[in-house]
Amino acid sequence: MDGYGILIPIILGIWAYISIIAQLTGLWWAEALISGAITGLVVGDINLGLQIGATLTLMSLGMWTYGGATMPDFNTGSIIGTAIGALAGAQANSLEVGLAVAIPTSILMTQLDVLARASTTGFIHAADKHVENGNLKGVTKMHLLGQIPWGLSRGIPVFLAVWLGAAPVQKVIDWMPQWFMGGMSLAGKILPALGFALLLSQMDMKKYWPFLLIGYILFGYLNMPIMGIALAGIAIAIVYTNIKGGAANA
Amino acid sequence: MPKENEKNKIDKRILKKSLYRDMFTLQWSWNYERMQALGFLWAILPVLQRIYKKGDKLKEAMKRHLHFYNTNPVMSPLILGASIALEEDKNGDASSSIKVGLMGPLAGIGDTLMAVLYRPIIAVIAASLAMGGSSLGPILIFLSGILWMGLKVPLFWLGYNKSTALIGDVIGDGIVKKATEIASIAGLIVIGGFIPSILSRVKTPLKFVKTVTIKGEAVEKAVELQGILDKLLPHLIPIAIVGLSYWLIKRKLSPVKILLVLLALSFITNILGIL
Repeated sequence: MDGYGILIPIILGIWAYISIIAQLTGLWWAEALISGAITGLVVGDINLGLQIGATLTLMSLGMWTYGGATMPDFNTGSIIGTAIGALAGAQANSLEVGLAVAIPTSILMTQLDVLARASTTGFIHAADKHVENGNLKGVTKMHLLGQIPWGLSRGIPVFLAVWLGAAPVQKVIDWMPQWFMGGMSLAGKILPALGFALLLSQMDMKKYWPFLLIGYILFGYLNMPIMGIALAGIAIAIVYTNIKGGAANA
Repeated sequence: MPKENEKNKIDKRILKKSLYRDMFTLQWSWNYERMQALGFLWAILPVLQRIYKKGDKLKEAMKRHLHFYNTNPVMSPLILGASIALEEDKNGDASSSIKVGLMGPLAGIGDTLMAVLYRPIIAVIAASLAMGGSSLGPILIFLSGILWMGLKVPLFWLGYNKSTALIGDVIGDGIVKKATEIASIAGLIVIGGFIPSILSRVKTPLKFVKTVTIKGEAVEKAVELQGILDKLLPHLIPIAIVGLSYWLIKRKLSPVKILLVLLALSFITNILGIL
């Protein structure tokens, strides 16, 4: 399998940098589905990017960086997985290869996330000194430069993996037996269960479990489309809290 | 609230500068030690410069705003607005303490709404579109991100105009509780429907061959297990897998370990031909 030239790895590395900085500003762009689609567009297999991105986004549903916690970086995994999967496209099942690359990558990236979050401590210490000396330009500089460890911790691994990844991944593909491909394909369908379970674990299930049942009935027995369930959910939630509030005031 | 000391009134240009700094760069220098502290200082810096000019007073004010600070990024402008309003009144201590008072509850509201309600609903709709091959999926998330971030602008002006009254609204009035409750209920209904819908591709191909006697003749008939399961409870297998994962979470297994368990489950059931 031929690798990519230098241009595609650079573009994807830049997107990895931009997307994590966007996420830092509160802009929800470091999402596996978005990055999968962008990568798919860049490497010429948008459908692969959509499939890998959707699977990873669903897996990560219950994961959120509460108060700055580290979680598997499915965004970076999605970029690298889609790019490598597309390379394999000609000779192997690109979705399975892509997921087989994306999942371990997402987990390994947590190490670099911790490194980025730790190294920015140097910037605030430097800012303390600049405040002491009344050097406002220094304070500004320290703040704005803080993005660099964040961005590079994503940009560099993406660039290297996409640029150099073809050869080592070729070896893995040559090895991949049929049972592995089949297992990976099934895993893609099963793994979203993790995202749902994580979401549920963050809610007060003892108090609110009947609402989970209502949602299940709407789909399982009444075959309501997803958008309808979402709207029904919001309506029921507001009605419930209003009635409860009214009863409490009466 | 009319400001007594008109000369401290900050003109709108500086206020907007402050808002945009928070809006676009708040967490750029996020670090383990004081998290968003430096980002907040940089956002409020134009206001501090306008009020305290330079010298020791400015230095003291800057130090005050370098203390630990962390909240939900979309909620931050609400706190920034309130904090600026207090700085305008030359009430520096209150300006610092309102940050401490509001950052926790607002982080709770913002993170819950985003993680339990906004992101799951949009992400699942987007993912189902994408699995069907539609590029509208990622575009939907992309635009929803911009919309969510746009909330920062009205929140900033709300914080600036209400200033200390915010504390009563946020902490006293049970807004946190109500928002969490709405998010939890709507979230659970949505998840209840999404689990069987998204995981509906997980099915068993197992068949049983049983011999039935029709008109005195023994006939072999294949019975699909999936059909029996569907009559028992629709989407039983997806529910069981989510149930297993949930149980493992409650047993304090980390998400990465559960991911490995599910991978192993996929390989084993695939090899055995169960799923």
